[in-house]
Amino acid sequence: MKDVLATVKSNYAIAENIYMMTLTLSESVGEIHGGQFVNLSTGDNSQLLRRPLGVMKAEGDDVTVCYQLKGEGTRNLAKAEKGQKLKVLLPLGNGFNLGDKRNVAVIGGGVGIFPLIATVREYCGDKNFYSYIGFRNKNAVCLTDELEKSKKLTVVTDDGSYGKKGNAVDAYLDDAENIKADLIIACGPPVMLKVLKQKLTARGINTPCLVSLEERMGCGVGACLVCVCKKHDGENARVCKDGPVFDINEVEL
Amino acid sequence: MAQLKVNICGVDFKNPLIAASGTFGFGREYNELYDISVLGGISTKGMTLEPRTGNPVPRIAEGGSVILNAVGLQNPGVEHFIKSDLQFLKEKGVVIVANVAGKTFEDYGEICAKLDGIVDFVELNISCPNVKAGGMAFGVKPESIKKVTAVAKSSLKSTPLMVKLSPNVESIAVNAKAAQDGGADCISLINTLTGMVIDIERRRPLIANNTGGVSGAGIKPIAVRMVYEAAHAVDIPVIGMGGITCASDVVEFMMAGARAVQVGTANFSNAYAMPEILTNLNLWLDGHGIKDVNEIVGALQLN
Repeated sequence: MKDVLATVKSNYAIAENIYMMTLTLSESVGEIHGGQFVNLSTGDNSQLLRRPLGVMKAEGDDVTVCYQLKGEGTRNLAKAEKGQKLKVLLPLGNGFNLGDKRNVAVIGGGVGIFPLIATVREYCGDKNFYSYIGFRNKNAVCLTDELEKSKKLTVVTDDGSYGKKGNAVDAYLDDAENIKADLIIACGPPVMLKVLKQKLTARGINTPCLVSLEERMGCGVGACLVCVCKKHDGENARVCKDGPVFDINEVEL
Repeated sequence: MAQLKVNICGVDFKNPLIAASGTFGFGREYNELYDISVLGGISTKGMTLEPRTGNPVPRIAEGGSVILNAVGLQNPGVEHFIKSDLQFLKEKGVVIVANVAGKTFEDYGEICAKLDGIVDFVELNISCPNVKAGGMAFGVKPESIKKVTAVAKSSLKSTPLMVKLSPNVESIAVNAKAAQDGGADCISLINTLTGMVIDIERRRPLIANNTGGVSGAGIKPIAVRMVYEAAHAVDIPVIGMGGITCASDVVEFMMAGARAVQVGTANFSNAYAMPEILTNLNLWLDGHGIKDVNEIVGALQLN
């Protein structure tokens, strides 16, 4: 974990309101794993908080993140031009640890697909991935080619304007008995993860499941206790430090 | 290299930079980024007698040059600190400032008694809601400041008491004096200002708690003014904070009368903020031919 100066290598829209930025780090920060994130300055000194963004790709000294335009901070990021310098603290969080699992179901919704892509890239040599990816509509669809290494890739949209009409959770459940996954990894909007948990329980599917959570963050390193989530044991966990990846049965969704 | 050592209430600090409570945990996380033993001191996360889980999320929001937080004193409890974190900080050789809060006057007395003699300072956080004083914060009225300070002081036989003052008050000078009258050995200020940020699309505050404490560069002029007023109202040492981001900010606070400073929000914008400030403070002092950082304390000359 280091706070380094990075140079914007590229930064452009890849779907409606979704941007992809590649940064070249001024120094090596060691291994970066799928599911880990970076804390990126917006380039505007009046914005005191960094923006936590999941890593989509890490190759050599280049790190790629994707982000949705949400507010002033991400709008500033979208303005960053090639050659601009930004401070970035990385790698942060625990990431997805797939261990010795062989058949992994990947369930992603919207901007939640990016850390999943990084994970599939990291492990694709020795695991079988079955990916179920959902977007709002065809204008939001992006980077599906990054998941084509999957043994099976299903893309769905809420309105059926691209792929089948439906959501990523149901797309997985429809296939669950065929693929016999020994691990599920998921990232997406809170409601998607909540529904995933409910439906897994309802169907009696007890396949281990790891979910990556999102929360507004302060320090990004676990010191300020801003980005907590509730665990079932009543304690709080820090999304930035103890997560962002948690066992679905460990946290309240 | 200028001399950076400061002495406050008989306690030696390597330099006048103290990590501010709530932004630095108990030091372990930032110690993964740099050796925190370079710091003068660390004010711990605010601790209570019992563990607390704090407020719902979101707990943080951003404004122009400021942030707001409403963590709500989530902490593992003072016993956990004593068992699990105290030794780590001692080994780091930093001045340990134990920041404490309570619901009642008795809480303050009890938590101070637990920490007496095993930390370098106890810092009273007296800005949280209080049931026994009619729902007012301990830190607003001079009478309750004096009383809570006296209660805490009576439980501290050997550890000096630092009282952290809230800026959300009628007169910071009167409140600083109240802390001194209650027996405070030194005061620190300012705590956060109460604020609100609204998501206009949802017509709701961004923070779950609705209001939050405002901190960061944008509050610095208010903080400097209050440090100046407080330093001129009391004879005890003043520790300044509020929006310190760089070495020149430190100089400003010290000129206003602070003997040391605390750095908080800047750690979020720049994880290496404190070591960088330290390097640049040295450069500033050298550049101005100042041999000892203590020379700038109170050096302000009014127009």
